[in-house]
Amino acid sequence: MPAIVSLSNVAKDYPLGKTVVRALRGVSLAIEKGEFVAIAGPSGSGKTTLLNLIGCVDVPSSGEVTIDGRSTSALHDRELTNLRLHSLGFIFQTFNLVAVLNLYQNVEFPLLLKGHHTAAERKKKVEAMIDKVGLTPQIGQRPNELSGGQRQRVAIARALVTEPKIVLADEPTANLDSVTGQNIIDLMKALNDTLTTTFIFSTHDQRVISHARRVIRLVDGVVEDGAAQARGAGG
Amino acid sequence: MRGSMSLVLVRTALRNLVAHKAKTSIVGSIIFFGSFLVVFGTALLDSIDRGMSGSITESLAGHLQIYAKDARDKLQLFGGGFMGGDDFGAIRDFKPVREILEALPEVKAVVPLGLQMVTVMGGNEIDQTLEELRQAVKSGDDDKIHSLAVKLRAMADDLLPDLERRRHIARDKAEIENQLRDLARVRSDAFWAELAKDPERGLTFLEAHVAPLVLDGRFLYFRNVATDLTRFPRLFDRFELVDGQMVPPGEPGILLAKRTYETWVKNPVARDLDKIYQGLTTQNLSIATATELADAARRLPRQYRRISFQLAVEDARTVERELRRLLPESTGDLGALLQDFLRVDDDNAVGRYRFFYDVIAPRLPLYTVPVGSDVILRAVTKTGYFKAAKVKVWGTFRFKGLEDSDLAGASNLIDLLTFRELYGIMTDDKQRELQGIRDAVGVKDVAREDAEAALFGGDARPSSADATPGTLGAIDAVAEIAAAKAPAPAVTFTPEEVDNGLTISAAVILKDPSRLHQGLAAVQRAIDAANLNLQVVDWQTAAGIPGQLVTVMRLVLYLAIFIIFLVALVIINNAMLMAMVERIGEIGTMRAIGAQRSLVMWMFIVEILTLGAIAGTAGALAALAVVSWLGHVGIPAPNDQLQFLFSGPRLYPAAGLENLLLGCASVCLVSLGSTLYPARMATRVQPVVAMQAKE
Ligand SMILES: Nc1ncnc2c1ncn2[C@@H]1O[C@H](COP(=O)(O)OP(=O)(O)OP(=O)(O)O)[C@@H](O)[C@H]1O
Ligand SMILES: [Mg+2]
Repeated sequence: MPAIVSLSNVAKDYPLGKTVVRALRGVSLAIEKGEFVAIAGPSGSGKTTLLNLIGCVDVPSSGEVTIDGRSTSALHDRELTNLRLHSLGFIFQTFNLVAVLNLYQNVEFPLLLKGHHTAAERKKKVEAMIDKVGLTPQIGQRPNELSGGQRQRVAIARALVTEPKIVLADEPTANLDSVTGQNIIDLMKALNDTLTTTFIFSTHDQRVISHARRVIRLVDGVVEDGAAQARGAGG
Repeated sequence: MRGSMSLVLVRTALRNLVAHKAKTSIVGSIIFFGSFLVVFGTALLDSIDRGMSGSITESLAGHLQIYAKDARDKLQLFGGGFMGGDDFGAIRDFKPVREILEALPEVKAVVPLGLQMVTVMGGNEIDQTLEELRQAVKSGDDDKIHSLAVKLRAMADDLLPDLERRRHIARDKAEIENQLRDLARVRSDAFWAELAKDPERGLTFLEAHVAPLVLDGRFLYFRNVATDLTRFPRLFDRFELVDGQMVPPGEPGILLAKRTYETWVKNPVARDLDKIYQGLTTQNLSIATATELADAARRLPRQYRRISFQLAVEDARTVERELRRLLPESTGDLGALLQDFLRVDDDNAVGRYRFFYDVIAPRLPLYTVPVGSDVILRAVTKTGYFKAAKVKVWGTFRFKGLEDSDLAGASNLIDLLTFRELYGIMTDDKQRELQGIRDAVGVKDVAREDAEAALFGGDARPSSADATPGTLGAIDAVAEIAAAKAPAPAVTFTPEEVDNGLTISAAVILKDPSRLHQGLAAVQRAIDAANLNLQVVDWQTAAGIPGQLVTVMRLVLYLAIFIIFLVALVIINNAMLMAMVERIGEIGTMRAIGAQRSLVMWMFIVEILTLGAIAGTAGALAALAVVSWLGHVGIPAPNDQLQFLFSGPRLYPAAGLENLLLGCASVCLVSLGSTLYPARMATRVQPVVAMQAKE
C-alpha cells in the first residue's frame, strides 16, 4: 500500500533575526492510510512544524513532502488550499471554532466551502457527524456556550465532516483536563476504527502517547529512533 | 460563489456586526449620516433646481435665450450689471429669427426681450408745487400764490441745513455755494415781490435752480424688459396682472412689476410704515429685535419731507391740525410734528400706521407714478446720448409664486417700440412724428437760452430730449420738465412693427422642456445655418448669477459630501482594519480548513455591504422622512434670493428615486472603498496562524 503521507529528507528553517532556527533537519517518514499516529517529543522539538508541513499550511525549506501523491512544494496557495479542503481535516489545540456560528454551522462550514452538496445532503452529513461526536442536544449552541471538551468534539466533527483522508491534530488535549483529553483520544480512535481515516496528532502527554498505534519521536528536529517508527508500538 | 455560501457569508457578517457593537455603531452612524446627507442634500437641491427652473423659465427666460454672438458680456436676465453697464449686443432684426426658429419642430414660440435700464423722474414734490404755483399764477389766485409761496419758502428753509452740511464735506464747494445763494434768494421777500411782477422769470428760476436741489429720491432706476406685450402673458405662465389693465395691443405702454411698484414707486414713508406694520402684525417681529424693522423705524423721521413737501397747502393745514391733536406734547411746525409722528416704536407703530392711512395717505400722491399716469423714461443710448420717452403706466403685474422676490420683481414690461426709441433707433416716420409733437408742446415754456441749448444741442438733433451726457444738473432737469409736458405719444403700431426690428435677446419656449439639450442643439443648428450671427444659451446660463447659484450650491454640497466621505473612508478603514486584526486567528482557521483567499475578501466585503445596506437604507429613509415632512410644511425662504431659488415664499422639497439611487450608490462605493485595504490585508493572513493561535 503506498504511503498517504511521505516525507523525504525534509528540513524546515525559520529565519530568526540574523540567525536561523533549524526546526526540522532531515526528516524522512511514511504514514499509510488508516494509521493512528502520535508525534511525540519535548517542547521545541519540531512537532508543530512537522504537522504544518503535513497539513499543507507551510512548505519545507528542503526535501519533499508528499500528501496523497502530490508534492506540496510545487503547489501554489490556491492548490494547497484545495488540497487542505479536500484531503485534510484539522483539529487545533485551541479548538478554533468560528465564534459567531453555532455548533451546526461550524460543522457545516467546510461542506459549504467544498460546495458540491445539496442542502439536504449537507444536513444529513452534519447531523450524522454531530451525532457521532455525541453533541446532538447542543446542536444550536454557540461555541462560548460549550465546554472545552465539547468544543474539541465540535472541532473533530468539523474536521471529519468532509471525510478527509487525513486528520491532523496538534496537541488536541493540551487545553483539556486529563479525563476529557482521554475521552477525546478515545473518540478519535473510535472514528479511526470506523472511518479508516488517517489520524496524525502531536502530543507530549505520555498517557496520550500510550494510546497511539504508532509513535514518531522527535528530538531537536530529527526523528529519534528508527525502531520506534515501526508500526504497532502501543494499543 | 454558490448561493448557500453567500447566505453563510451574510449570516456571518450580520453576526459579526452584532458581535462587535462598538465598531458597528461607529461605522454604521457614519454611513447613516453620509447616506442621509446625500439623499437629503440632493433632494433639496433638485427641488430648488426645479423651483428655480420654474422661476426662471416661466417668468422671463423661457427655455433658451438667443442673443448676439458678438455681445461683449454674457447675457444676464436676472441681476448682473446695473444701468446698462453690460453690453449684451442686439438682435438687429427679430423677424427672421422668429420665423426661422418657430419653424423648428422643437420650438413652441420665440419672444423678443429687450433688456434696458432706464431712469425715471420720481418723487418730484417740488415740481408738483411749482406746477400748482404756475396754475395759480395763470388763474391769478393771489391767496393760493401766497400760501404756495409760504410752502416754497418753508421748503427752502428745510433744505438749508442739509445743504450747509453738504458744503462742509463737498469737494466742489463753489457749486454748493451757488446753490446756497439760490436758496437764500427764494427765502427773501424781494424774490416773491419780483415774482408777482414777472411770474415767468421767477417760475423758471425756481424750476431751473431750486427744484434740482431736492435731489433726494428724484431718480428711480427701472429695469425694463421690452417685449411683445400681447404674446408675453400667453407664453409665460407665471405672468399675472395685479392692478390696472393690460397694455392694449398696438399701443405703447409699461406694466410695472408689482414689487418695484410697492418698494420703489410708493412713497417711502408709506413703504416703511407698511413694512413695520406687516412685521408687527403678521410676522410677529418687533422693532426692538428685528433689524429690518429697526432700520425702517430709524429711517422714518428723516423722511418727513416726503409728506410735508407733497401735501397741498390746505391739506398740509388739515394734517397739521390732526397731528397736533394726536401729539399734544409736540411743538413746532408741520415738519417737526411729522418728525415726532414718524418716531415709531413697538407700542405706537400700529396706531401711527392707521393714522397715516386714515389722515395723511388720502392727501398724498401715494405712488410717484401711479397706475394710469404717464411716466418719462430716460435711457442712455449706445452713442452716449440721453433719450427720453413718455409712456403710460397701464398696470402692475407679478410672476405667480415670486410675489416677494426682488430678483423676479425687478423687471418691468414695456412695449418694444418705446424700447427701440429709447435704445436710439427710430424709424424716420417715428422721428418726424415725435419731432412734431415736441415742437408743438412745451418748448416755449422753457424759453431760456441755456435750456434750449440743452434741449436741441448745438445742431438740430431730431430728438428733442437728447442732451449731452454727464450734465445731470440743472439743465438736464429742465429738459426733463420739457419732456414731461409732452403727452405720451399717441402712436399705435401693428404686430409686424413689433417683430420688425431690434431686440436684445429672444426667449425660446420649447414644446418639450425636458428635451432641453436637443432643443438647444436644434436652435444652434438653425441659427448657424441661417448665418444669423447669434448665440444660444440655456435658461440657467442666461439667468446669470441666480442660475449659477444652484450650481455653486451643488458644488458646495458635493464638497461637503466628499469631505464627509473622505473622513468616513478613513474611519471605516481603521475600524475594519482593527476588526481584521482581531479576527486574524479566525481567518487563519478558515484558510487552514480550506477557505480560499477570495472568500476571506468576500467576507469583509459582504460584511461592510451588509452594514452599508442597513445603515445606508436607514439614512436614506430618514432623509426621505425629513424631506417629505418638509415637503408638507415647507421650508420658509428667509430672504429674497432664496425666494427666487425656492420659486416662492416656501420650498416644498420632494425626493425622487434618483436621489435614493445616488445615496445607495455613493454609500456602497465609500463602504467598499474603505474596506478594500483591510480586506486585502485579511487575504494575506496565512493559514499557519491557526496553528499558533492561542486563546
Ligand atoms: N515561526 C517561527 N519562527 C521562528 N522559529 C520558530 C517558528 N516556529 C517554530 N519555531 C522554532 O522551531 C522550533 C520547533 O518549534 P515547534 O513549534 O515545531 O516545536 P513543538 O515541538 O511544537 O514545541 P511545543 O511542544 O512547545 O509546541 C522551536 O525552536 C521554535 O522556537
Ligand atoms: Mg507545538
